[in-house]
Amino acid sequence: MTFVDYAIPLLLFIPAVSGVLAWLFDRDIVREIFGLIGGLSPLVIIAITYGKLGDGIKWTVDTGVFKLFFQLEHMSWYLAAVAAVVAAAMAFGMVSTSRSGYEWMFALFSVSGLLGVFLSGDFAGFFLFWELMTFASFMMVLRYNKRASLKYFVLSIIGAYAMLLAIAILYAKTGTLEFQSLRRMVVYAAYGMVPLTKTDMVLVYALFLVAFGVKAGTWPLHVWAPDAYSETNQSYTTFFSGALSKAGAYGFVLMFILLGVKLYTDLGTFRGHPLFTYILAWLGAITVVVAGFLAVLQEDLRKLLAYSSVSQVGYIVLALGVGSGIGFTGAFFHILSHAVFKGLFWLITAALILRTGKTRFEDFGGLAEKMPVTFAMALIAVLSLAGIPPMAGFASKWLIYEAAISAHMPLVAGAIFLGSAIAFAYVVRFLYAIWFGQRPSDLDDVEEAPLPLLVGMTILAIPNVVFGIAPGLVVRFLNKFINTGVAVNSYYSISTGVGTYNALSVALILVVGLAIAGLIYIYGARARRIPLTNTYQSGNPVTEDYNLSMRRNFYRPLAEALEFWLKYSFDRFYARVAKIAEDFADWLREGFYNGNVQAYSWYLAIVLLILALWGVL
Amino acid sequence: MFDWKLILEAIGMLIYATFMGFIFMGIERKAMARIQRRVGPPIYQPIIDTLKLLGKKESVSHGLIYDFGPVFALGASITALLFLPIANFQLFSSNADLIVVAYLLEIPMLGIMLGAMSSGNPYSAVGVQRGLLTMVAMQLPYGLALIALIQHWGTFKLSEIVALQELHGWSITVPALLIAMIIFDIVFQAMLGLEPFDIVTAPAEISMGPMVEYGGKHAALLFTQHAVQLFAETAFFAILFLGGASNLLELLVKQIAVLFIAIFIASIYPRFTIDQAAKFFWKWPTILGIIAVLLTM
Repeated sequence: MTFVDYAIPLLLFIPAVSGVLAWLFDRDIVREIFGLIGGLSPLVIIAITYGKLGDGIKWTVDTGVFKLFFQLEHMSWYLAAVAAVVAAAMAFGMVSTSRSGYEWMFALFSVSGLLGVFLSGDFAGFFLFWELMTFASFMMVLRYNKRASLKYFVLSIIGAYAMLLAIAILYAKTGTLEFQSLRRMVVYAAYGMVPLTKTDMVLVYALFLVAFGVKAGTWPLHVWAPDAYSETNQSYTTFFSGALSKAGAYGFVLMFILLGVKLYTDLGTFRGHPLFTYILAWLGAITVVVAGFLAVLQEDLRKLLAYSSVSQVGYIVLALGVGSGIGFTGAFFHILSHAVFKGLFWLITAALILRTGKTRFEDFGGLAEKMPVTFAMALIAVLSLAGIPPMAGFASKWLIYEAAISAHMPLVAGAIFLGSAIAFAYVVRFLYAIWFGQRPSDLDDVEEAPLPLLVGMTILAIPNVVFGIAPGLVVRFLNKFINTGVAVNSYYSISTGVGTYNALSVALILVVGLAIAGLIYIYGARARRIPLTNTYQSGNPVTEDYNLSMRRNFYRPLAEALEFWLKYSFDRFYARVAKIAEDFADWLREGFYNGNVQAYSWYLAIVLLILALWGVL
Repeated sequence: MFDWKLILEAIGMLIYATFMGFIFMGIERKAMARIQRRVGPPIYQPIIDTLKLLGKKESVSHGLIYDFGPVFALGASITALLFLPIANFQLFSSNADLIVVAYLLEIPMLGIMLGAMSSGNPYSAVGVQRGLLTMVAMQLPYGLALIALIQHWGTFKLSEIVALQELHGWSITVPALLIAMIIFDIVFQAMLGLEPFDIVTAPAEISMGPMVEYGGKHAALLFTQHAVQLFAETAFFAILFLGGASNLLELLVKQIAVLFIAIFIASIYPRFTIDQAAKFFWKWPTILGIIAVLLTM
């Protein structure tokens, strides 16, 4: 037995156990040490197992009732690696921002939970860890805001039990929970050898759509995300939004792998696309656009990033829905790049909240001078999210564009074009309101972010640049487990057969271009530095008392143009449904438990009557 | 190891593009003047303007990002230019396809915005806001036009699109792509910052918007950036819809033709307000775009 054989149990248990230890020994330095051990261990173990995967590392545990299978092959390694990088960054962030062992425990539980979901080889383990992950993230939100946490919990529970029902149907018909044999059974079912009917498949598909749609935040099930992402420890949100939302995307991938054949034969095609992927693509496209527009109109930093996260996960769902090899490549690449750039965004938010205690855009301004390193990191995150070559965000979006257009889904591809312009708009809002313009006087003594947070940011900034310049690295690994249809010409250059992208050449020429522009700049006369208030105000003098920066309602014209659409909100719709359910429960309670003895004897009489009519008595 | 011929070509193209870009700006001013029965400045006027700005004794700055913004914008424009196959010069176009170039043509906007925002001027802020909203509005029809084009030719590579047009005739001879061209031409006004979509700078309205604080060498950089961008965008148009060109002269004719259409539209239409522009882009051009993409399916 070598170390690699123990890799899976170590991956699953070290974070959880050290989380419990951090909670037990809730002292200042001690819990941070345990927390860092728990947060960094997945990254170390994942790094050690690289190149030693072979046919896949397996681990089985017999719990008596169920036999749980776990495996670490190429796909689960890739997903676990993404989760591990984000977890490491989260751990460093939490050293600065967490104040209790409670937070460490549940944050690390969700790391274990997510890794368990990715590594599970059967539905029993998958569901178990899925619930652990949901519960842990719920407890993290509960600490900060009860209402937001309950909203998240109720929707998650609906999703989880939809999944349980789907699993139950599959188990009843095929008699297996294990992925490999289930997949075989489903292929048999396509030939009519297993009694899995078309109705069953439609039902299972719909239930899975709800189950994974909730976690991924697909429209119209995204309403929990803006509240839950914002009302918690922002260092934790790095993991919550960066990695945890990928569980939903992975669920969809699993659906393709396990049920793809049967879903294709049963649901048929629509305009040449398998119907079940076509629905997924459209859900993704709507999510991208709707969440993007909502992000632009937010007045709170955390809300903006939360909606943006929903929108970006929409890209992943969309790319999966395209269904071609390039689409899968784009989806998996975007899982990586979204994890690193959005994780980075949340760590920056954590730093801002830690140092200023504010979250609304109207309270910020001019922080670029006060927190230069954090600002540099923010610039990397912004460039990556907006999809500026040569960042990781561009490489993955490029693949999604190519996939959607070459699969002949023009309107879906149009949604991506729109979505990426919206992304431009909201990152600029983030840049403008927080880093530029006049600084409110109460922010004059703001300091640079603390060291652990900066370390966490660096961990996430490096992949943004490295995988942006060398997208071939990622695609080459993806080629090991999916038929991507994307050729890797070198580490820096990928091509899809109809298009090509050489990231290094773009990067180099951009540098040369900047150098030429820089030379013109240096050639000109020396620039004299003047204060921000020495500015053009229609020729009028300006003093410190004027607030010249637009902090509020920055995109008001857009809100006006969209007035009609903003009248409809799923958030309000769900709130109304919840209210109706609550009223109904009240009505039931007051109507039946009315304290009237005669009423209870009537119930008895009615039951007896029914039994008599039934012929029991 | 180095491909010296390619590097020389790139340098030559940069110089040519910058010069011609300035001349295009001059043509624009001259044509506008003639339309209004004025004599107008000489055609090389923008070059003189830029040299004058570079010769200023002092320029002011609001900080590092304020300086970096124009530099980044010009750098990105140069990058976009070098990835286009211009006439018989392929330059670096084999390394990047249509999507990359379309993105690179948008990045200068981010550079300008970045610099403008850091100046903290309210007019700049309004300009930035309008610029981004214009972009959000125009991106949908713009994307649809590009999608229609890609679907018809079945490739993302610009040089292949040119080659296919040589074989099968220009893009605009195909009905669906003619519609796409019309959409692209409408969006083009916004890309060049001309009326009726010059909402970003809106000279009489918000005193030049993002550029309000820039003077001296910063303004010179922005002028140069505009020249390079103008050349790159007109060339992009010619490559996509007018069959590219086999030599620089042919390209020049096509570029000027494209430019003149833009100038004629610009000189007779007043400016849209930003919400009108958004509603306009999401109505007719988008409907036409959907028709175009469905025709090319």
